[in-house]
Amino acid sequence: YPLFQRGGPQLRIFRPNFFMLAVRPGVPQPEDTVQFRVSMEMTKVDIRNYLERIYNVPVAAVRTRIQYGANNKRNHRNQRVKKPDYKVAYVQLGQGQTFQFPNLFPEKEQDTETRSFDDFKDKYMEKEKQKQEGDPRRGGVPDWFGL
Amino acid sequence: MAALGARRLLRPGRRWFSETTPGDPSPTPGPLYPPVVASVTAKSKAAKWRRQERFKERVHAAATVEEKLRLYGKLQRPKYMVYPQTFALNADRWYRSFTKTVFVPGMPPRAAAAKAPVAEAGATPEAGGAPEPGAEAPGAAKTPEPAAGAEPCLDMGDLRSLTCDALLQESFYQNKKRPFLYRDQDHTPGPFLTQLVSTLAAFLSGRNPLLAASSLDLKPEVNYYWHHGEEVVVHGHRKGRVDPVRFQIDDNPHLQIRVPKQLPEVVPLESDLGDVPIIDHKPSKLPLFKKQYENKVFIGSKVADPCCYGHTQFHLLPDRLKRERFIRERLEDQIEVVYRSNGIASLFAWTAAQAMYQGFWNEADVTRPFVSQAVVTDGKYFAFFCYQLNTLALTAESIKNNPRKNICWGTDSKPLYDVVEDGNVKGFNDEVLLQLVHFLLNRPKEF
Repeated sequence: YPLFQRGGPQLRIFRPNFFMLAVRPGVPQPEDTVQFRVSMEMTKVDIRNYLERIYNVPVAAVRTRIQYGANNKRNHRNQRVKKPDYKVAYVQLGQGQTFQFPNLFPEKEQDTETRSFDDFKDKYMEKEKQKQEGDPRRGGVPDWFGL
Repeated sequence: MAALGARRLLRPGRRWFSETTPGDPSPTPGPLYPPVVASVTAKSKAAKWRRQERFKERVHAAATVEEKLRLYGKLQRPKYMVYPQTFALNADRWYRSFTKTVFVPGMPPRAAAAKAPVAEAGATPEAGGAPEPGAEAPGAAKTPEPAAGAEPCLDMGDLRSLTCDALLQESFYQNKKRPFLYRDQDHTPGPFLTQLVSTLAAFLSGRNPLLAASSLDLKPEVNYYWHHGEEVVVHGHRKGRVDPVRFQIDDNPHLQIRVPKQLPEVVPLESDLGDVPIIDHKPSKLPLFKKQYENKVFIGSKVADPCCYGHTQFHLLPDRLKRERFIRERLEDQIEVVYRSNGIASLFAWTAAQAMYQGFWNEADVTRPFVSQAVVTDGKYFAFFCYQLNTLALTAESIKNNPRKNICWGTDSKPLYDVVEDGNVKGFNDEVLLQLVHFLLNRPKEF
């Protein structure tokens, strides 16, 4: 960003090249807190303006931290492979709004066709397994063992 | 072979099963073996319980209060630092859950002598029975209350002139340089508050003998350390163990009045005036941060001081919690939250520390309620709080069978004056001053 000096113009950015990714929090957060992964160069002021101006989301408070990506994995050449660092922002919404991260993979309702097909598949797999195991009367002893 | 063995057993002098040699005294009924208790050093829950019981017995058996406090805060571990003056959103709800406090808006109804002034949620009748003098009836033309008995009435004109004098001296008459950046509060409202309280206390000490025996502290330190709830340790060599959640309040009120006699209780010890909010999340989401340092419990003076009970605290809000800043960031509802969280946290720390100075702690709960008052201000707006401590037992184990809750009464912030111009104070608010005077005149019945 160009350096600001007293009396200079206010910096305005139209169509910023930042992206904010809303993520599901790893630990339970209070109801008014939303967790984002943002670009490393974004500041708390940037995040607040981004959400308020572009998405009209009232923001009460923003806290950020930088998550260090580990450097312990090794590839086939024994070189260390780094996971990238990223910045996490915890945004507290204003005006009493709450946010709950949605369940992105809900259980789908199965219709009768798929259900009967699943039952048939399970039965077939069971029969195959039975054939593989062998005679249950031998008590787990293999069939090459004997006189 | 079997016969030989039997004969060896039947040696003379040895008592065989049903034989009893006559002439022996009856065997003593005392225990033959020491009591079977859990080990002290094992890695088991029973051993941990026994270690905790031994610690509690050590604290109960401590001879002096200083020794009790020393043992209570001996083990240092990372703890949450609770700041009464905080910018965190909705902090007063979290603080109420940490301290098991019920918040009741408005001032508590004082006993007897019911009179109804023209107040809003603020000022309420002064305590005391009919023969009690003073705060009731101000000068004749000021308010429509009847004069009380033979005692001299309070002259609102006098008090108002005192307040205006202090205000004008600090803001108008005295030549001060421009305040340094973010030091506005120390420039004018700080000295004004000190001057106001000291002159009012001196003026009213003729009326309230408790004030005459009181001690006024300037910028004292108030600290309190307590446990509440449990959590599992996340990182480190103690990972996986269940630990109590530790809190510490380190507060610096602007002014404090300590008295030798305790203020009377407002409601009985076991009263239930509302609900305590229960927050499932970890305190670090507030945000609240952990540090490890000395576990201090302090009311403003050491244990041997005769003025060991609290009367009133005066808090000055810092520059970063100014009203204008909240309005600029469109967080108007957080203005009152700041006053409430300051009142609740500071008063809880002060009353609980006073209770610890009398020898109570979370295993030996208080037998009488501890009452203190506080005024939180930013120079122009005043909010009044009254706190009654009914219970100190907030640890995970002692809170289970404890139905008592601490109670905090508080008002919204009201301006004392509108603006100071050209040597005049415009828009002076009498109710705020009256409430302040009521606070200062509060005293136990027999005094």
